[in-house]
Amino acid sequence: MKEIMGLTKLFINESWGFSKFLYNRTNNKKAFYKQLVPMIIVPIALIPAFFMYVSFNIALYAGLRMINQTSVFLSVGYILTIALIIIFGIMVILSEFYFSKNIEELIPLPILPRNIIIAKFLSILVFEYVFTAVIFVPSLIIYGVGEGMGVVYAFLSLLMFITVPILPLALLTVLIMIIMQSASVKGRQDMLRIIFAFLGIALIMSVQIWFGNQMGNADNVDSQMLMNNLLVNNESLLNTIGYFVPTSLLLAWTLNQITLMSLAWAASSVVITIIAFALMVLVGKRVYIKSIVRGKTIKKGKRLSQIETQKALGKKSHGVMAIFSMDLRLLLRTPIYFFNNVSVVIIVPACLLISLSFIKLTPEDFNSIQNFYTEMPILVNFMLIAFFIFFGATTATTATTFSREGKASWLTRMIPVSSKDQIIGRTGTAVIIESLGIAFTLIGVFFYLPLTLLSLVLTVALGILGSLPILLFGLFMDMNRPLLDWNNPQKAVKNNMNVVITLFVGMAYIGLLLAVSGLLGYFINPWLGYGLFSVISGIMIFIFYKIIDKRLAVKLLNFE
Amino acid sequence: MLKLEQVSKTYGNKSEKAVDNISFQVYPGEIFGFVGPNGAGKTTTIKMIVSLLAPNSGKIIINGIDNQENILEAKKQFSYVPDNPELFEKIKGIEYLKFMADVYEVPITERQQLIEKYLAVFEIKEAVNDPIGSYSHGMKQKLALVGALIHDPQLFVLDEPMVGLDPKASFELKKIMREHCDRGRSVFFSTHVLDVAEKICDRIAIIKKGKIIEVGTMVEIREKAGSQESLENIFLELTE
Repeated sequence: MKEIMGLTKLFINESWGFSKFLYNRTNNKKAFYKQLVPMIIVPIALIPAFFMYVSFNIALYAGLRMINQTSVFLSVGYILTIALIIIFGIMVILSEFYFSKNIEELIPLPILPRNIIIAKFLSILVFEYVFTAVIFVPSLIIYGVGEGMGVVYAFLSLLMFITVPILPLALLTVLIMIIMQSASVKGRQDMLRIIFAFLGIALIMSVQIWFGNQMGNADNVDSQMLMNNLLVNNESLLNTIGYFVPTSLLLAWTLNQITLMSLAWAASSVVITIIAFALMVLVGKRVYIKSIVRGKTIKKGKRLSQIETQKALGKKSHGVMAIFSMDLRLLLRTPIYFFNNVSVVIIVPACLLISLSFIKLTPEDFNSIQNFYTEMPILVNFMLIAFFIFFGATTATTATTFSREGKASWLTRMIPVSSKDQIIGRTGTAVIIESLGIAFTLIGVFFYLPLTLLSLVLTVALGILGSLPILLFGLFMDMNRPLLDWNNPQKAVKNNMNVVITLFVGMAYIGLLLAVSGLLGYFINPWLGYGLFSVISGIMIFIFYKIIDKRLAVKLLNFE
Repeated sequence: MLKLEQVSKTYGNKSEKAVDNISFQVYPGEIFGFVGPNGAGKTTTIKMIVSLLAPNSGKIIINGIDNQENILEAKKQFSYVPDNPELFEKIKGIEYLKFMADVYEVPITERQQLIEKYLAVFEIKEAVNDPIGSYSHGMKQKLALVGALIHDPQLFVLDEPMVGLDPKASFELKKIMREHCDRGRSVFFSTHVLDVAEKICDRIAIIKKGKIIEVGTMVEIREKAGSQESLENIFLELTE
């Protein structure tokens, strides 16, 4: 047990860099405050979002109470929590178990493989508890207070809270271990990570589509009968959800009404959780270490002939293109980066298109959309511009550009490339990614609303122009506080506060600019709105470009 | 070729200096060895020379260019291979070499010739189309060496260059270093292998606790130490 706790502490420390944080407190005050300030500011900035989430939950509870269906409330919170654990868990499990280099140092030591597996799992679980506390505990409290529950409810809630993240995480770990063990994935581990991530998203989308279908089918049912059923049977919704996620029934039966049976259901939950955990340890012992010692397999390229080598070297590129292509290659070839920085431009338009495909529009509906666009093109244009800028801000490509290079950043810092080339090359990568999102969105929009050429040109041009200040702000942030000291690429993007700061500041800025420009365009003259938007964006681009251009060369000297 | 004038460096808010007011010069056509115990300040000094760290005070002049005043021009004068060259794992060897040739603006014919030559010398021609992530430590070092030699730098800076290399590659590198200097260029390298330093260096500097305690040719160092012993013995006496 002592060994497991020691290893867990080690893994947590390695993941979050606590030792370095404490070291900096006494030895490098500047670096210490750089780490400390976002640790305080970001949680504070998230407080309003948390209150919104809690308010939404309270409203949901009140709504369900009106239709006599509060029994489903806890299940909804539970399903949301495990869905999020699964989505984010895939990458975390892969990173901790398969792409963290610490395992190669631990295997030669006289440590039981079981202890390594348990410690790795616990190190992930600790942070899943923090996550579960934020997402699920509000539901438990709202329900408990709303139903006037007592001490036994509180005790059972705590017990259920402890079990909630273990089950999905353990089963997911088992699944990942089995797939990673498979010989057929040799040399394809990178691709596998991307496939896993997309499978997670597909799973969630399937749930959404399934619910969408259920809702669609409900149209055919007599609504009066449905309402009567809901009012008479207070578990009808619960049963529907329970059919899809059976463990949600256990939770509901434990906590919805406190009876002696609640204890039995709670015990069942605990037993199932223990079985899942034991299964994870058992499978891990059989396959995990084996798949690690089998060695890292990387697909090799074919041998180049002299002519092929000369051909590969035979084109001289400008410094901008050299930086751009290197940045883009790293982004597309590193699964973690691809998933975090690129996939959003594919997933968001795809989700939107799939969701819209479930809305059955009549020719009259199409006409009204067309009429709305003809009468108020400025609103549609600004909505599209906002959507396009969303890709610029959320891909966080520039906000992690130096961080993604990690310890290899010595190379791009040492080479004689001007600040101008670095800025254009790195921002160019982000613009290309953003353009992909714009293209996918426009393809989707085309099915519902054929845009005029003017709208097309305006929205694309202003969308890219408007996102450039955010992209440059991201570059400015990463230039000032790059996260280079990592041995797992996950950290470069997931533990990077630059992403959060850029997202918040960028969204606040663009929200304000769009609101002012949109109002001006709507009430006075559309071209005034577009003009103001362009001028402000141009000024911001100029300011950030100048600042970065002036300071980058010196900043590159002080990355360590 | 390289001139350090009263250069100092302190990390964080530590009172102790990692590099303490050091000055020395490397002349054209010279192989200059930089030796010292672990933590003496060798890598810090090298990082300041190659613009990976900013000194707190002092000047570093490379081929007549101040590397704090005119960073970009100074960077064009040298190339650098670190002791543990971390390279982009997802990039192929050939892509890395093209990148280096592009950023140093090496003409097409020259890059093709030099890359072919050095790939053959270091025997990594067959692996050049593989991702760098599949390379061993030594192969990464060889690739970094080829990348550093592409633009025929005025000053070639190496941190512990012999550590990961096999005997043949180590021999070839020493030959390349000598040929480089014979063409009027300079080599500055740190090493713990004192036999190598003694044999191939024209001059040597010994650093201890951030201060240069000796600079000169082997003959001069022996004279000052009043001993005809090997560099290893003199080094042990001086750094005790």
